[in-house]
Amino acid sequence: MKKLLLGTTAVGLLALAPLANANTKIELQRFFGACEAEYGKVTDVSSAVGECGIITALVNKFEADNPDIDVNVTTVEWPGYDQLNAQLASRSAPDVVSMHYSAMSDYQSRGLLVPLDKLLKDQNIKPSDFTNAAISSVTKEGKVYALPFDNWTMLFHVNNNMMKKADLMKSDGKPVLPNSTDELFAQGKQFKDATGKPYLVQVTANETAVYARIFYTLLMQQDSKFFADPSRIDLSGKEAKAALTLMKDIMDKGLSTTNMDYPAAVAGFSNGAGGIAVNGTWLIGTYDAQSKQANNPLSDGYSVFPIPQFFKQKDVTYADGHGWVVPRGNRDDEKMAAIGKLFKFLYDNDYEWARTGHLPTVKAVIDSDKFKSLPHRSDIAKVAKTGQALPAQVLRQFAIQDILGEELGSAISGNKSMDDALKTAQYRINDLLENI
Amino acid sequence: MAESYRRSRWSNGLFVVPYLSVFLTLLVFPLGWGIWLSLNKVDLFGGERFIGLKNYARVLSDPIFGQAVKNTVIFVGVSVPTLVILGLFLALALNKTTKGSSFLRGVFFASSILSVTIVTLIWRIVFIPNDGLMALIFEYFGWQPIGFLSTTGWSLFSVGVATVWWCIGLPMMLFLAALQQIPKDLYEAAALDNASRWRVLTRITLPSIKSTIMLVAIIQVVMQFQLFGQAQLMTNGGPAGSSRPIVMYIYEVGFLRWDIGMGAAASQVLFLIILCAAMLQYWVSTRKEETDA
Repeated sequence: MKKLLLGTTAVGLLALAPLANANTKIELQRFFGACEAEYGKVTDVSSAVGECGIITALVNKFEADNPDIDVNVTTVEWPGYDQLNAQLASRSAPDVVSMHYSAMSDYQSRGLLVPLDKLLKDQNIKPSDFTNAAISSVTKEGKVYALPFDNWTMLFHVNNNMMKKADLMKSDGKPVLPNSTDELFAQGKQFKDATGKPYLVQVTANETAVYARIFYTLLMQQDSKFFADPSRIDLSGKEAKAALTLMKDIMDKGLSTTNMDYPAAVAGFSNGAGGIAVNGTWLIGTYDAQSKQANNPLSDGYSVFPIPQFFKQKDVTYADGHGWVVPRGNRDDEKMAAIGKLFKFLYDNDYEWARTGHLPTVKAVIDSDKFKSLPHRSDIAKVAKTGQALPAQVLRQFAIQDILGEELGSAISGNKSMDDALKTAQYRINDLLENI
Repeated sequence: MAESYRRSRWSNGLFVVPYLSVFLTLLVFPLGWGIWLSLNKVDLFGGERFIGLKNYARVLSDPIFGQAVKNTVIFVGVSVPTLVILGLFLALALNKTTKGSSFLRGVFFASSILSVTIVTLIWRIVFIPNDGLMALIFEYFGWQPIGFLSTTGWSLFSVGVATVWWCIGLPMMLFLAALQQIPKDLYEAAALDNASRWRVLTRITLPSIKSTIMLVAIIQVVMQFQLFGQAQLMTNGGPAGSSRPIVMYIYEVGFLRWDIGMGAAASQVLFLIILCAAMLQYWVSTRKEETDA
């Protein structure tokens, strides 16, 4: 009996031992994809490629450097706000969440995010360390609500090998890109005649975000004040019609791939489906890595540039960014300190994240020779100055993007007239904003 | 000695307490709460304000909701008869005791155990342009390719094909179970009378499984009115909202726009539509039975 009691006590103590030594656990929820099979154990961040690879390696490295902290990563389908909303509503939100700057106002305005000023200060991170574009995007009512991680925008990813076939390469090894709508159609035709492939590889199916982002860019290039009042959109002007007309003409004149959803368009460009992929900064690292491998359509033939200025009024591109937020919840000082350590680590490794193609948010990184010497960065450097977001006071930007993308898509595919689509989009968006 | 079973005692009611508590907690309470939310201006994180029937007025005057209702009714109108007829056909064909038919029953039921994500991934591979199976077939025959997931009309059709493939297992199994309940002597009598196969089917088989046909139809009407995952993952409701079902509308309003009150109002409308459709079907079938009698 004595032996049994001793044995039971020993087993009980052994079972409790891990609890006594329990590490601080951070629940981190993010998009950027899942790649555990390839990068699950990688701690050499410099060897990782692409958004998923680099963030996975970064978290692995943080855990290796901080054995007293466990980071439990949950990967969500982009953009992941449905899950977050459900978690917030049931008061079970994770500790750290990836969030677009454009979505932050929704959560901050309802008191769902924790201000991070003290947490960042404790880690000796100053707001002035970040670029103005980044820190202003995450500062609401004088408080910082996220660790800004990057700025991104849509770009022209160019297959130089196909452009060469179409005689659209300059002597300095850079592609000839359009500087006006007329040049766009002329060069697009020249490309198609020479290669038999469409000039642009665009995401046009099962997707609304890309349409909306291009539309915003074209409106901004015309200096349209379509959100002069952040609680109403105005698409009644000639600028909206001109932007949509250009987008529709690109499809109608056969300058673009058709029926491709996001994965198909990304893979399509890799496989030589067209000359220029209209897609985001996040693909630079992946396409650049592909161009360094032999025997593929991008071998030694990839370059990337900002979206050309099709309208003369303003040189500007719609931009957004990713940050790390801490949703409201009960956390002890120990956990907040661990989150602070994680944020400091991510801040210190902003260069590694910038290898994805995103623009870094830390001034010291963006000014560094190391960053400037990354491939293609000099070609897209001006985006740091020309990137422009929607006014921060505009709420429900993801829902607006969906409505806009759907209506623009209807007009571009010919299911609606352009006037009808713009009028319906304006009505639906304003109905949404009026009823918040 | 034994107490009459007719004599009731209040303590007998305790036997239904477990069921009733689950029923009230998981069905009646959420239903009542949903109705209450539909009468309020409320978002995902609270802030309730009673506004009466305004959410219903907004839902019913929203052309996007009207389009979603139309899409859903068309979808149910085509997919349910297809599921019933195809399920019945498969059950009739596989109502044998051979190893081959047992294997095929397993094959046809296998799709039902997959999650909607896997089902839509499979059908995306079939329908996507350029490298998809259909695209390759069209290319082989030199036909003009069709954007199955991005063309008005075809998108809802594609969602329907994936749905029928996914859901066919349950109707087939229910029909098989019903077919095996039909007394063998009826078929023996028909054989003695030298009845044709068609006559056996229409005079013995179908009348014998009439209640199962109705059961399958009602189950499928209720299920298909709740179409969501396939449409969201395959077409995102597009193009131009041509494959957006009612549940996707509810999801968009509730979760993307955070307008839970309006989403709840749309849910109550869907509840009424499903209830009416199922009741109508039940009423039509029972009325026919009465007429026959």
